[in-house]
Amino acid sequence: MSTVSNIVNWARIKSPWLLHFNTGACNACDIEIIAALTPRYDLERFGIQLKGTPRHADILVCSGPVTRQIEDRLVRIYEQMPEPKFVIAVGTCSCTGGVFKGCYNVKAGIDSAIPVAAYIPGCPASPKAIIDGVVKLLSSLKEK
Amino acid sequence: MFKDLFYILVFPGFAFLSLFALAAEFYDRKLYARLQNRVGPPWFQPLADFIKLCAKEDVIPEAANQNIFKVMPVFVLASVVTASFYIPLWNNTALLSFNGDVIVVLYLLTIPTLGFFVGGWYSSSLFARLGSVRTITQLFTYEVPLFMGILASALLADTWSLSELVSFYSQHGWLWLCNFVGFAVCLLALLGKLEKTPFDIPEAETEIVAGSFTEYSGRLLAFLRLSTDIEMIVGSALLAAVFLPFSFNLGPGLGFILFISKVMFIVSLLSLARTVAARLRLDQMITFCWKILTPLALLQVFINLILKAKLIR
Ligand code: SF4
Repeated sequence: MSTVSNIVNWARIKSPWLLHFNTGACNACDIEIIAALTPRYDLERFGIQLKGTPRHADILVCSGPVTRQIEDRLVRIYEQMPEPKFVIAVGTCSCTGGVFKGCYNVKAGIDSAIPVAAYIPGCPASPKAIIDGVVKLLSSLKEK
Repeated sequence: MFKDLFYILVFPGFAFLSLFALAAEFYDRKLYARLQNRVGPPWFQPLADFIKLCAKEDVIPEAANQNIFKVMPVFVLASVVTASFYIPLWNNTALLSFNGDVIVVLYLLTIPTLGFFVGGWYSSSLFARLGSVRTITQLFTYEVPLFMGILASALLADTWSLSELVSFYSQHGWLWLCNFVGFAVCLLALLGKLEKTPFDIPEAETEIVAGSFTEYSGRLLAFLRLSTDIEMIVGSALLAAVFLPFSFNLGPGLGFILFISKVMFIVSLLSLARTVAARLRLDQMITFCWKILTPLALLQVFINLILKAKLIR
């Protein structure tokens, strides 16, 4: 049993597929996420691929604070993803609410709606920080 | 009995084809990455993807037709594995062969497309349905040049059996070079069949998420991906058997290496096309296939008819 679960865990670490979702960011964080996926940084080295549908994704990469309008949709997308699933919050806004904190139309960080596994601060978070965050999340899976 | 089971499950059946397909996917992705000046995925990447997907939760949408949704991936996988039995591997004869198996292989390779259509349609998601409609529209465009290209070379060999076709060409020296036009046409049509760029219109992830695969997850998705990979090598092996039929009478060992390198050569041509071209629109693809590929395939048929008249005399 333990060999099987070791192999499965290894496969999970080696093949994380991302789904990118803008929950109300100012778009700067999204540009950085897209930049991290370009050939220049070559995330496919780690087996990371960007997928279009929540059904295929393992990691939900969110950027921006949770606006009141997007909240339901964020929860719905999170629930559409098959287990096991993780959420990464990219940018200060998605960690805490950032500069939008206290706005009438904004709740707070991503963790006010769904559980978050890794926080990547920065305004905007640079591609290197995003890659570092993803790799740290994956290596934390190894210890479990 | 045991021999049959061995053929079906191990070699050249399911186990061998899966391993070869995963290796070919790695080769394709790595070459694609290197051509884009990237490092690319490590060698175990397709295997890790497969294991991970098998270990994930299977989500089946409530609105989907449960049985069809679940059966389709297995159905698709079975049909591509069956097609491989009719294709000669290292020598001139395939495992199974009868007069007319070219047609059977071509139709067995059509079943995956229909499977994607039916599976996508019954998952009753809007994106999946759009993808399915595009899949089936695309089927009507590339299928005609593909069939004509392959049957043109069968016409010259005067047989409908793949094994006899291969032995005809290996006895006739350089005659296979005359099929060059047909080879080019079939290569492009194969790109359409495998739904690879520039013909990846049905899965266009920037427009319709993931096409007919949108609602698939977990094990079902793993088998769908495996069957597209197997479809890639079986399609390439078919082209290799029909258009590169030299075998030099090598033994099983060397002949097998020759077979693998022929398939890999065709896979590299496919990745090269994937790298240099961007996705076409559906109407552009239809125009391309009907106005350029089909006349070229007809040209190949005419060339072969003339050659045949000369050969008989
Ligand atoms: S963290 Fe900064 S860059 Fe990112 S969404 Fe918020 S304000 Fe924009």
